[in-house]
Amino acid sequence: MTVLKRVSVACLIIGFFVPLDAARVRSDVAAAQAQQAAAPLPLTMPNKADSLKFAILGDFGTGSREQYQLAAIMKRVHDQYPFNLVTLVGDNLYGSERPQDFKKKFEDPYKPLLDAGVKFYASLGNHDDPQEQRNYKLFNMDGKRYYSFKPDGNQSVRFFALESSYLQPEQVAWFEQELKASNSDWKIPYFHHPPYSSGERHGSDPQIRTALEPLFLKYNVSVVLTGHDHFYERTKPQKGIVYFVVGAGGQLRKGNIDTRTGLTAAGNDRDQSFMIAEINGDEMWFNAISRQGQVFDSGSFTRRK
Amino acid sequence: MASRCRLIVMAMGVSLSLMPCACSRSSSPPVDQTKAAVPGTGTSTPPAQPVNEDAKALAAFLDRVNQYVLVHQKLENTLPKLSKESTPQQVDAHQRALSKLLQDARKDAKQADIFTPESQVVIKKLISKIFSGPDGPGLRASVMDENPGVPNLKVNDRYPDEIPVSTIPPQLLEGLPKLPEEMEYRFVGNDLILMDTHAHIIADFIPNTFTR
Repeated sequence: MTVLKRVSVACLIIGFFVPLDAARVRSDVAAAQAQQAAAPLPLTMPNKADSLKFAILGDFGTGSREQYQLAAIMKRVHDQYPFNLVTLVGDNLYGSERPQDFKKKFEDPYKPLLDAGVKFYASLGNHDDPQEQRNYKLFNMDGKRYYSFKPDGNQSVRFFALESSYLQPEQVAWFEQELKASNSDWKIPYFHHPPYSSGERHGSDPQIRTALEPLFLKYNVSVVLTGHDHFYERTKPQKGIVYFVVGAGGQLRKGNIDTRTGLTAAGNDRDQSFMIAEINGDEMWFNAISRQGQVFDSGSFTRRK
Repeated sequence: MASRCRLIVMAMGVSLSLMPCACSRSSSPPVDQTKAAVPGTGTSTPPAQPVNEDAKALAAFLDRVNQYVLVHQKLENTLPKLSKESTPQQVDAHQRALSKLLQDARKDAKQADIFTPESQVVIKKLISKIFSGPDGPGLRASVMDENPGVPNLKVNDRYPDEIPVSTIPPQLLEGLPKLPEEMEYRFVGNDLILMDTHAHIIADFIPNTFTR
């Protein structure tokens, strides 16, 4: 049973109801970055010594100014909260995928993080060329279109990166085998298409849900990380599982969260954003952070057992 | 010879699913049905049907796929191997070199060389059956999501860089003949394409696979 312990309601209000003009955002961000470069961000993570700290980013590879600005915020977060891996929930490169695109849309914006030793683990979205990306060293896919890995450290966690735009039967069978074989306490799948989402543009993907949700339930998955809809959303627990949509790493679809779905526990469709998370024992904490450095959603929950 | 037999058997598994008696296919993977239909597997299930015309058509399609993949592999083996340490330059050069080799080797290729006319009819029927089920509207919506289509689709063309690939729902992939690793199905608009994933080119396509 997942128990939501705490949610930052004040920050939710900022996320949902304050419309932001794009030009104003840009100037505000520039000014904020200049004035507050040394100021700590208002993170609310426990930052325990032995915990697993990671970030989640999706729908980012645009090469736009907004992507770079969010990347700069990620570096500031990393400076005060040293996460060592980033899970990518797909749409890693938009448009062409020539070598110069890998540089402009990935290596340059995240260079400070890459230089600091942060590892990025990609999953593939519908804008991604599997052949180009699965062999790209900095995406750590080991030549595979779907894979799992256990991060370094003492926490009992395994991640499963799936390719949801081509979820063939053998991939589903592989996923079940991996779940079954894993003795990790936390089994965290991440992929592009959200089984639950309040996006007006895309929304919940019932086909992916039908194929994967029974496995999540059977093998005690507690949290699922996705993208595709270009905003941030944390759902109310669905059959005990919390679903995150983290799809505004560079793209943004303003005003696209349809709160009438009743799924939304928290959301932000007004600014680019990413998320950090921390696992220690049976607890997971999270902060969702905007391009302006605001922590607009935070909380923690206990894993399903 | 053995691989040809496997292809025919795979096609039988899919084709038999079109028959009214095969109403359990959504809960059984095609491979299981295939085993049940093969004499000499030790199962007690008798051969349900002789090889029918649909099965033959799909077997012919998979045979053409196999022939294509043999050419693909032969050409790809002439190129430097990619590894997990490859740079984007190396991966990109490999992809474009392979696509050029394939385009040269198949310079006379035309639509329906791989998707034979008979197999097109069967595959359209399969898709129609899947789309006409209770989940049909949702499946169709998934396929058409961010899928604007491309005018004048051509065999051997590079898949357009600016257009995302369509999502192929798992329920649809379960119903289509299984492809080798080098190939995959995608939709461009409502045209079903056979995509060479290593070369990023369109090996063949079926126009107007379903009614929009």
